[in-house]
Amino acid sequence: MTQLVQALVLGLLIGGVYALMASGLTLIFGVMNIINVAHGALLILVAFITWKIWSLTGVDPILLAVVMTPLMFGFGWLLYKGVLSRISGSSPGMSVLLTFGIAITIEGVLNVTAGNKFRSATPSYFSESYRVLGISLPKAQVYGCLAAVLVLGLLYVVLARTWTGRAIRATAQNSSGAALVGIQASAVAALAFAIGTATTGVGGSILSVLYPFFPASHYDWISRLLGIIVLGGMGSLAGALIGALILGLAETLTATYGSLQWSTLIFYAVILVVLLFRPQGLFGSRLRQDVMA
Amino acid sequence: MTVVDSLRRLTAGRTARLAVLAVFVVLGLYPVFAPYAAYEQGVLLLAFLMALMAVSWNIISGFAGYVSLGHSVFLGLGAYTGGLLAEKFEVNPLWFMPVGGLLAFVAAALVGMVVLRARGHAFVIITIALLLSMQVLVNNFSSITHGSNGVNVLLPFWSSDYQNIPFYYLFLGLLLLTVGFAAWVRRTKFGTGLLAIREDEDKAAAIGVNTTRYKVLAYAASAFPIGVAGVVYAYFLSFLNPIGAFSLLTSVTIVLSALAGGRGTLWGPVLGAFVVSVVTEVANVYGGGSQSRLLVLGLALVLVVLFLPMGILPALSARLARRRAARQAVEYTDQAGVATARTPIVVSPRSAPAAERSAAPLLEIRGAKKSFGGLRAVDGVDLTVEAGSITALIGPNGSGKTTLFNLVTGAMPLGDGEIWFDGTRIDRLPPWERAHLGLGRTFQITRLFKSMTVLENVVAPLPSASWGLMVKDAVSGREAERARELLDFVGLGRFGDQQAGALSYGQQKLVELAQVLMLEPKMILLDEPAGGINPTLVNRMVEIIRDLNRQGIAFLVVEHNIPLVLDLCDPVAVLSRGQVIAQGPPSIVRADPAVLEAYLGPEWLPAKPVPDVVLDQPSLSVKGG
Repeated sequence: MTQLVQALVLGLLIGGVYALMASGLTLIFGVMNIINVAHGALLILVAFITWKIWSLTGVDPILLAVVMTPLMFGFGWLLYKGVLSRISGSSPGMSVLLTFGIAITIEGVLNVTAGNKFRSATPSYFSESYRVLGISLPKAQVYGCLAAVLVLGLLYVVLARTWTGRAIRATAQNSSGAALVGIQASAVAALAFAIGTATTGVGGSILSVLYPFFPASHYDWISRLLGIIVLGGMGSLAGALIGALILGLAETLTATYGSLQWSTLIFYAVILVVLLFRPQGLFGSRLRQDVMA
Repeated sequence: MTVVDSLRRLTAGRTARLAVLAVFVVLGLYPVFAPYAAYEQGVLLLAFLMALMAVSWNIISGFAGYVSLGHSVFLGLGAYTGGLLAEKFEVNPLWFMPVGGLLAFVAAALVGMVVLRARGHAFVIITIALLLSMQVLVNNFSSITHGSNGVNVLLPFWSSDYQNIPFYYLFLGLLLLTVGFAAWVRRTKFGTGLLAIREDEDKAAAIGVNTTRYKVLAYAASAFPIGVAGVVYAYFLSFLNPIGAFSLLTSVTIVLSALAGGRGTLWGPVLGAFVVSVVTEVANVYGGGSQSRLLVLGLALVLVVLFLPMGILPALSARLARRRAARQAVEYTDQAGVATARTPIVVSPRSAPAAERSAAPLLEIRGAKKSFGGLRAVDGVDLTVEAGSITALIGPNGSGKTTLFNLVTGAMPLGDGEIWFDGTRIDRLPPWERAHLGLGRTFQITRLFKSMTVLENVVAPLPSASWGLMVKDAVSGREAERARELLDFVGLGRFGDQQAGALSYGQQKLVELAQVLMLEPKMILLDEPAGGINPTLVNRMVEIIRDLNRQGIAFLVVEHNIPLVLDLCDPVAVLSRGQVIAQGPPSIVRADPAVLEAYLGPEWLPAKPVPDVVLDQPSLSVKGG
């Protein structure tokens, strides 16, 4: 029983972090109809930078999110202006190829500069836990989840309460309609991409503490995040949240009761099954468009 | 297809063909003259393998336009099949080449059946997921695959004096076979169908192309040669492990090769594979070893997508074509088309519709409903079209006419109700099966495959689902003759070899009609046949419709040109707010107060003078709907 509760609690803690990471990916898809395959690589990039700064200065890695987030916002904006905006309007295949190219480039840069080795930031609380009612809550997990929830809340407020947020949501729902009422689509797309990328600033900082990583880890991460947003429904923020919690739980439960090596397969299985039986996911618009629906 | 066309123009040239031949003769003789150049041979044989994979990839991702990002999964499948079977039966793995190919074919077909009913992003996601999950699966099922310990494959049976020369010829031979296979696919109706899917999938379905079957087959066909080559690859490597066999890097190199060379072309992927192989090899040797390989590939992919999306070969031939075009300017005008004499033609070789023999109507729509969110676009339509009639469907903009067309042809699923065509209930059939039953349509805005030639457009439709038809040559024999006849019939015979996109709008409407006639239809739905074309062509269109109708083809016409409708059609049905509000002979319908109200609003009271005056106003023939 304790084992089950322990697994559930850990699953939810991880799910919160997943939710943050997936929210950026789903936001970008919703607004621009692009699957940013480089999202995972950006997370790993941030994790490496965070790890480097931490190992040089000893500043808390999760706290470094405060620096990394604006940095990634800027990087995302530049990436959109310099690269992605050039292919707006081309086929989904080409946009995936482009972001895939970016992902591999980042992996290649990390290979050359940081080396093909597993790394992990280990601040003082790394191996400590809180004990609540017989359940142990690893401090790193708790701090990571808190940071993620905080940023998710912030993102929600921006999208729901500000004019900018409304413009982003309007463009996601109907871009030509939004253009008609005076929203400049390219500016909104740049902003959405920058915000989506900024979430990797927080996500990557948390990742550097919670998981060991190396340059090619980004394939694992993008598969996880794709599984989450396919399950939740592409483009839906609420879907990303629910999908992240479900898959976070599923992963921890498989790891607890099954084996660790099968838990990664869950995400692929989810992608296949969802696309087969419920292509729109839990909340989203249809990812799969059938000739005969 | 500009890409394919321009390529054909390039390779059709004797010089180009000779150049290709010369390259392969040199490659074939190379080991004879340089038998000890083991390093160079090794680089080349891997380039052959890469070219083979790029050519195969091109069938699904170049011809049909569905990008696969995990295509090396089939190399891994083939390799593991060969390696494990050879170990089990203790024989030379090369015996299992067909098994490797077949397994790849079946795996792709199964996956394809799941995801290729779909469009958009689903396919590309699945292809990556497939590759990555195979790594995990092969790792985890270690009782069969030896997991991360890998598989040892026995060493080649030939004397080590021959080094890798037998592999060199094996891969070269397989490459040539694969190119031949791809060329054959491109030439058949199957190939034309794939191009049609890439250009406009809905339209392809409307002219009888079973898009699901085509896409699944294309994916499976693109997996087969790679599966075969995978077995040879296992023998060549003599050791397999999950990460190496199901390599993402290989997948990326395949995509990069085909893209850089020119996807959709025949030789582009080959050229691209050679360029990419040589460049990465050079980068390996002089640029910091395999560490930087990933970086180079990633950057190259980004740069190619951004700056050379068409690829080297098409970019070259486009430049050639431009230079040629500058020398001989061609002028296209409607007048040129009109001036050509129309030849009479017999168009209904199919048996007469069953409806004609019985008393039942040819098309019967019962209580059809379709909503978009809260909007009821079609709200309980009952409509019949008798065999042999020209029925008009008119109504104000937004009254649901085009939606109704989409429901009848299957471009959209019906919400509620039934649709019967010639004794068959069709509302659950996919669009292509409706086309095979003899139901054709034209579109309000023409939807020709703009970069195919006019003749290729007209031969593209498939009047039946027969498998034999798929492997026939696309433009040949009886059908090509028939297509030319039909083009003559609509008066555009001399435009057969032009690109469809170069024709005027009105001419495109006529070509679209000829295209539909290839289906040997019993009934044609015309969506604004006279919209946006000049008066001379309108007259011709009317003439053609009458001509076809005399031969037994029924029509359902949506048109805003009211005088034309009243002149041509009988009966006339009026649609307003998703419902049929009047149906009958033109003279009665045009005096119906409900019709006048629908068009002119409730405050318009029928003053005594003839309503003609109002209905005949040209202002009513504004395009839309």
